[in-house]
Amino acid sequence: MSRLLLAALLFAPGIALAQDPRQIIEEVQRRQRSQSQRYEGTLEVIGAENRVATKRWIFERIGAFGESKAMLRFIAPAEVKGVGLLIVNHPDRSSDQWMWRPSIGRDQRIAMQDRSTRFFGTDFSFEDLEERDVNQFDFKLLGEENNAWKIESRPRKSSQYTHSVLWIKKDNYTLQRVEAFNKNGLVRAIEYRDYELVKNIWTARTTEVTDVARKSRTILKYDKLEYNLPMKDDQFTLQALRRAS
Amino acid sequence: MSASALLLVSLIAQSFEQRGFFENRALFYPQTGANDSAHVLGETFLRYEASYKFSSWLKLSGVIDARFDSHRQVEREARLDVSDRLLQRPALSLRRLSATLHKGKLTAEIGRQFIRWGKADILNPTDRFAPKDYLSVIDSDFLGVTAARATYESGGHTIDLVWQPFFTPSRSPLINQRWTVLPPEAQGIPIVDRGARYPGGSQYGARYNHIGAGYEFSLCFFDGFQNLPQFDGQVVVAPFGVAVERFYPRLRLYGADAAVPLKWFTVKSEAAYFTSSTLGAQEYAIFVIQLERQVKEFSFVGGYAGDVVTRDPANPFQFAPDRGFARSFVGRAGWTVDTNRSMALEAAVRASGSFLRYEYSQLFGQHWRATAGAAWIRGDAGDFLGQYHRNSYFSLALRYSF
Repeated sequence: MSRLLLAALLFAPGIALAQDPRQIIEEVQRRQRSQSQRYEGTLEVIGAENRVATKRWIFERIGAFGESKAMLRFIAPAEVKGVGLLIVNHPDRSSDQWMWRPSIGRDQRIAMQDRSTRFFGTDFSFEDLEERDVNQFDFKLLGEENNAWKIESRPRKSSQYTHSVLWIKKDNYTLQRVEAFNKNGLVRAIEYRDYELVKNIWTARTTEVTDVARKSRTILKYDKLEYNLPMKDDQFTLQALRRAS
Repeated sequence: MSASALLLVSLIAQSFEQRGFFENRALFYPQTGANDSAHVLGETFLRYEASYKFSSWLKLSGVIDARFDSHRQVEREARLDVSDRLLQRPALSLRRLSATLHKGKLTAEIGRQFIRWGKADILNPTDRFAPKDYLSVIDSDFLGVTAARATYESGGHTIDLVWQPFFTPSRSPLINQRWTVLPPEAQGIPIVDRGARYPGGSQYGARYNHIGAGYEFSLCFFDGFQNLPQFDGQVVVAPFGVAVERFYPRLRLYGADAAVPLKWFTVKSEAAYFTSSTLGAQEYAIFVIQLERQVKEFSFVGGYAGDVVTRDPANPFQFAPDRGFARSFVGRAGWTVDTNRSMALEAAVRASGSFLRYEYSQLFGQHWRATAGAAWIRGDAGDFLGQYHRNSYFSLALRYSF
């Protein structure tokens, strides 16, 4: 969803000292920081038989990494118009999530024990969308490729992945690609492209994730992306979820 | 068009939202009912929802339903129903018309609306402002209520106050159709439906909800009327038969619910104690405990719903599907095959009566969805679920969403 969220690895502020992988990651995060964010996402899921399913949503986020709140409202396809998702991230535990379905007229807390569950049938897993602290990972610099640092990240806490490999562009500290592995090999590959400078933040306008086992991929495009908009906490509550339906 | 007119059109478009669907559905019953010889039932249904946001603090929402069916569960009169007190489903009904006002931590909604309480998914005993349409008992839909609701939310604390000046009953099965099953000794005796005595007073409710670190719970209170009917029966001589009239006992509820996400499951629980000052009405408690978990693309919800009767005047003439599903193990499993396809299985199981329902659903393009399903009901005639053992069915629905 949010490119910031998708980065799934970026975290406390710091000053870059080249060649130290943790500080490179911290600098990536520092350059991406914003108080709030809003965009309209268009998501295409392209299945193994090249069948395409399209979803659209409006995404809003407020707050800092690890303690942010986000609201996602589907606007297409027609049958999910009005379905909303409230995500409250915590630095020390899994996020709380509630879904609002207009057809039942109330919020429902989502069971989030298995973070490898795919997000609404897309190729993103819920874990890919989580915000986690930099201290939850060990980093190792593997080298440099095409003017990008190649960094290995190993989770300290339980994860569907044994490790991930990140490519970070040296000239502007933007994430180019992530490959996530489990004990059997490559599970997912996430590519970030079409970077533009938006309010002084380098922003990927397209994210593409490939699920290697399912042979399917999901392309997420960000439209009308804006940072640091005036937003209030009361836009990110269960009542706000109800009001938005 | 002038620039200001263009700007105005653009602003209206940004504030106006609409959605809805048109659905055709067919039900195939392999067996006839004791009082219903039909095997096939067709339904056509249109729902249109619109909302307009006048400002950041005021929004108007409306929903209209239009229906037609082959089996006269739907009234054949072209008029707009706003009360939802008909025995049949209205052909055209105002499902929602409400104004939502919002300022800071306070949200108020006034008008015809949906008020849902509770955290459990398999049965909600605390959900007292949510009457239902039970014409097909195991496939019910919620009805709106006319009420004023004020909600104050601060941090993890929410207080919800509701005043409902006009009573909306749940719609119970029609006497001449298969979802009313008369006891064997009453079969053959003509039943005359004398309608209902609706209570005139207001209903009130309050709910406090708290979201903490790794848990949430709520406490609630309701004072009003049971929205499920009891029946007064009277033998009439000419013409011979039994005349029945629905009435709705007073009801007071004390309830609580909780949800706790644990490492392996999310535990959700809900309980309510019901008292009544109406002579002949039961007093009882209903409780639900359920475990919920997602495993990759599968979701599982399973639990037990139970009840305890504390006062039982043994009135046999009542329709109580909420208690009918109690004393059962209830579960639901879902599988999201991909973005377009899903399957679901739900069941309520106990020794004397059970039901099992399966659905396969597929989206075609951006608008069309087809759903095929089957429901199997078994059990004894004396059991709430078992009495419907001749009502197992297959269903096919085609929906166009817009």
